[in-house]
Amino acid sequence: MSGPLRVVHYLNQFFGGIGGEEQADVGVTARAGAVGPGRLLEKALGDDARIEVTLIGGDNFVSERAEEASRAIAAELERIRPDVLVAGPAFGSGRYGLACELVCRVARERGVPAITAMHPENPGASGARRGLYIVPTGASTTSMQAALEALAPLACRLGRGEALGLAEVDGYMPRGARRVHDRGRPGYQRALDMLLDKLHGRPYRSEVPYAAPERVAPAAPIPDLARARIAMVTTGGLVRKGNPDRQVSANAVRYHRHTVSELESLSPKEWEAYHAGYFNHLVNSNPNYILPLSFLRDLERQGKVGRVHEHIYALPGVSTPVAVAVGHGRNIAADLKAAGVDGALLVAT
Amino acid sequence: MISAIYNFALTTGANRVIRGARIEHVCGDPTLSPEKDYAFGMRIVTAALETLTVAVPGPTLFDPLASGKEAAHAS
Repeated sequence: MSGPLRVVHYLNQFFGGIGGEEQADVGVTARAGAVGPGRLLEKALGDDARIEVTLIGGDNFVSERAEEASRAIAAELERIRPDVLVAGPAFGSGRYGLACELVCRVARERGVPAITAMHPENPGASGARRGLYIVPTGASTTSMQAALEALAPLACRLGRGEALGLAEVDGYMPRGARRVHDRGRPGYQRALDMLLDKLHGRPYRSEVPYAAPERVAPAAPIPDLARARIAMVTTGGLVRKGNPDRQVSANAVRYHRHTVSELESLSPKEWEAYHAGYFNHLVNSNPNYILPLSFLRDLERQGKVGRVHEHIYALPGVSTPVAVAVGHGRNIAADLKAAGVDGALLVAT
Repeated sequence: MISAIYNFALTTGANRVIRGARIEHVCGDPTLSPEKDYAFGMRIVTAALETLTVAVPGPTLFDPLASGKEAAHAS
């Protein structure tokens, strides 16, 4: 390769100099050369790289019309064919962070190495778990210089086609990728060293990083149960008798939705549990133990609950990777919300 | 979320956690007579519904089987 690396830089309408919130609906435009923070980025990149084009998109436009925005970005990348794309930094700005994540994904799909930077709590930072390179920054633009200095050398390496090293060494957010390599000393020795360090109060570092579970803001209370539509979901492995839908008993890649609008109760003649994580025989004698339809019907009759939702959702909640479970939960919740459900009971075995 | 292993539910971030009976029979108890089994399950289900009507700051345990009705917050 000859000449400096050709970089495309993505900015939102604010950093791109188009305007503030009132301009958040503008579509994607391309400007030659570096714009705004791009000038600082270019300095940090040094002589080996230059910003060929700056792509600018309105935060609302990109978040609300993601497909259109993706097509526009993809067309620009086809036209420019850069060596690397840099997006942001987005700091703590949520829509901008999500836009940077989207732009990086579009670039990667087209074989263009991409990297962005934002605050670890920016919603766009979840893109790291989807394999994107994201450099952590502070929450505000005061960390601009530090962010660009961390971003630039990584962008150059990606642009030259180099693979980056470990996240903790190269300073990007862990992507959850595992690589096989030789640590030099066997595991039992490393474990004992770690134990001794712990017992002596010395600092040590686990080789199994702890991924804290995602925090979800609690749903607002329901003002009046007597007017509420209530749904039921179970991870107890409820299936129709004989499992005609061929659900698995563990590591479910799908859940099933069943209609119970005609039913007063779950009869053991029609329903059973198929779940590899507990003894199912008691539930097989009374499936309402894991999906309390009989109770809710009584409460509905007594007027204590407005309406029992006509659909139930079931899967075996065992041996499922967290990422898959998050997807199931998100889809079920979206379905319930779209159906106007006010609250749901999730029974977990 | 109604669960007999409520500690898992709390530490993984479920916000309204209702203690169920046992893993094999979360909403009821087959060792009781049918009437008592039903009343027992109803207590759990009713408690679960009531939690939907109160605000919680984060993962919170509601124990319908304890004598008092106070809620405990996850540490």
